[in-house]
Amino acid sequence: MYPRPIPPTAPLRRGVYIGLVSLVLLLWLLPLFTVMVTSLRSFEEVMAGNYWGWPKSFNLIENYTAVFTQTAMARYFVNSLVITLPSVVGVLVLSTLTGYVLSRHRFPGANLVFALFVGGNFLPAQIMMIPVRDLMVALGLYDTYAALIVFHVAFQTGFATLFMRNFIAALPDELFQAARSEGASPGQTLVHVVLPLVRPALAALAILTFTFVWNDYFWAIVLTQSDAVKPVTAGLSNLRGEYVSAWNLVSAATVIVAVPPVLMFFLMQRHFIAGLTVGAVKG
Amino acid sequence: MASVELQNIEKHYAGYHALRDINLTIEDGEFAVMVGPSGCGKSTLLKTIAGLESISSGRLLIKNRDVTKEEPGDRGIAMVFQSYALYPHMTVAENMGFGLRMAKRPRAEIEAAVARAAAILRLEEQLDKRPRQLSGGQRQRVAIGRAITRSPDVFLFDEPLSNLDAALRTQMRVELSTLHARLGSTMIYVTHDQVEAMTMASRIVVLNKGRIEQVGAPLELYNNPVNLFVAGFLGAPRMNFVDGTVRTADGRGAVVECEGGMSIPFGQLEGRVQVGEHVTVGIRPEKLTLEDIRSSVTFPAEVRLVEHLGRETILYADAGSLTTSNSDSGTGAFTVQIGDVTPFRPGAPVVIGFEPRDTYLFGADGRTVSAPKPVARL
Repeated sequence: MYPRPIPPTAPLRRGVYIGLVSLVLLLWLLPLFTVMVTSLRSFEEVMAGNYWGWPKSFNLIENYTAVFTQTAMARYFVNSLVITLPSVVGVLVLSTLTGYVLSRHRFPGANLVFALFVGGNFLPAQIMMIPVRDLMVALGLYDTYAALIVFHVAFQTGFATLFMRNFIAALPDELFQAARSEGASPGQTLVHVVLPLVRPALAALAILTFTFVWNDYFWAIVLTQSDAVKPVTAGLSNLRGEYVSAWNLVSAATVIVAVPPVLMFFLMQRHFIAGLTVGAVKG
Repeated sequence: MASVELQNIEKHYAGYHALRDINLTIEDGEFAVMVGPSGCGKSTLLKTIAGLESISSGRLLIKNRDVTKEEPGDRGIAMVFQSYALYPHMTVAENMGFGLRMAKRPRAEIEAAVARAAAILRLEEQLDKRPRQLSGGQRQRVAIGRAITRSPDVFLFDEPLSNLDAALRTQMRVELSTLHARLGSTMIYVTHDQVEAMTMASRIVVLNKGRIEQVGAPLELYNNPVNLFVAGFLGAPRMNFVDGTVRTADGRGAVVECEGGMSIPFGQLEGRVQVGEHVTVGIRPEKLTLEDIRSSVTFPAEVRLVEHLGRETILYADAGSLTTSNSDSGTGAFTVQIGDVTPFRPGAPVVIGFEPRDTYLFGADGRTVSAPKPVARL
């Protein structure tokens, strides 16, 4: 079914390989598992120091409802959605347009524009922190949804353009020539030919962008201040009290925060269709 | 009246002269086939007619209208690609109606046009299928149907049959000829396959290195090639070329001597040759005879290989120092095509013969100098 890195004909090496893989997997999943288990414990139990043992009581419903009733997580959650969804849409629309133009149309300076898109990815966020914050203050966007949306769209479009450009460039040339000779305008070609064929790429890009924007913590704390616009990542750290933290609630909130990117993956999964261009050219 | 006129067309790619001074008029309703070896510019020329490639200089007229600067969609052309170029996410019907949909034509008109094209191409059963569910031949028919629905003035075909297997290719060749007879539209067809060129064309355009070598009816080109290139390109198996030297020449005729002392008299020449000029004598494989005492010129040879094709036999034979420079075998052996089976086996000595009036003479510059041969009037 899948290619095997170690052939089944070498049982000893295979055993060692599988053992090592399992060990790495365990190390990887342990923190995640601990957070999940902690989210079920009672406050008293966490205070008593039972971090690793079997939970004495399972407080699934109490803890998870407490996240919404006792903290501002619901607000943060809405904020995150309001920031992330438009950012994803903006990135997809812009990168499809730029990718289409850069892959299929020649104009002077095209390479320079493309280089700028790609080069922008190499700028470390730390360098841009103060200028971007000052810019947002000057624009009057500081501490609004728009600050994060504008920034994420601008910053993610660079990589997304590279991604879309390469994907569109890989479509058969003849399809574009055929559309052109049939009188389709560049816009019509984009809508009727390109878009249906890049659906898998758009789905993958949507997941990537969604996860990145949703999980962003750095820009959330740089560009927002008030609870009214703060996304979940920044909100999570608010849950830690000055003297005492309700780690069971923090864990429950963390699990909740991790759900949307996973949902997003399953939502987009049906668009991953291999060989969408089969039948386009040759036999 | 959808004629296509090419006037002094030049095309330069970055440092590459792809088309050189192309002048050609294709009349309304003609089936013009452009043929030539790889890289001769035939596909480039078709794409410049389509408008997919720009022209460096010159003018292009379709239906007596200058379309040099027009977009492909406005030229009244429809193109069929070698790779079919079907939209994989659309059904057959959607593929065929695409051009009309883009032109925002009413739905009823689109459906009627698609139905008509589907009927012509026997695709009624396939209309709701996607390209990947079709066979190669059906895909090619959809691509042709897509062209038909737009009722273009000129159809452009870019090697449309080269991805099909041999049997299907023959069938599609017949279908395309029938389609041309039925629609009566101007068609320009690019191929590297000379059988397609000979069988389908009302006129063949032979291209080489970005230049038109000769334009004419298939049999005219076959019988009276203007130069060595056309003579060698058309005809399968290829013409035998033998180097020779002019021994005597007067105002009309000449005698050419080849390696091994064989002399060939040419009674009437079209062009002039000088005594001592290095010339090339050409003779088609089907004009060579085997062991025929009636032939006026004969030479001995030894059979190298025999290919039995059933109805005919192709025989490759070495004639010592008398070698050909352009043979299919690539070894200098003569190619002889006879419409019969032969008992000869490799290694057997044979006598090959021919009539001087069946040969061609090409001057040192490659131009044909022998007199034109009669062509059957069709």
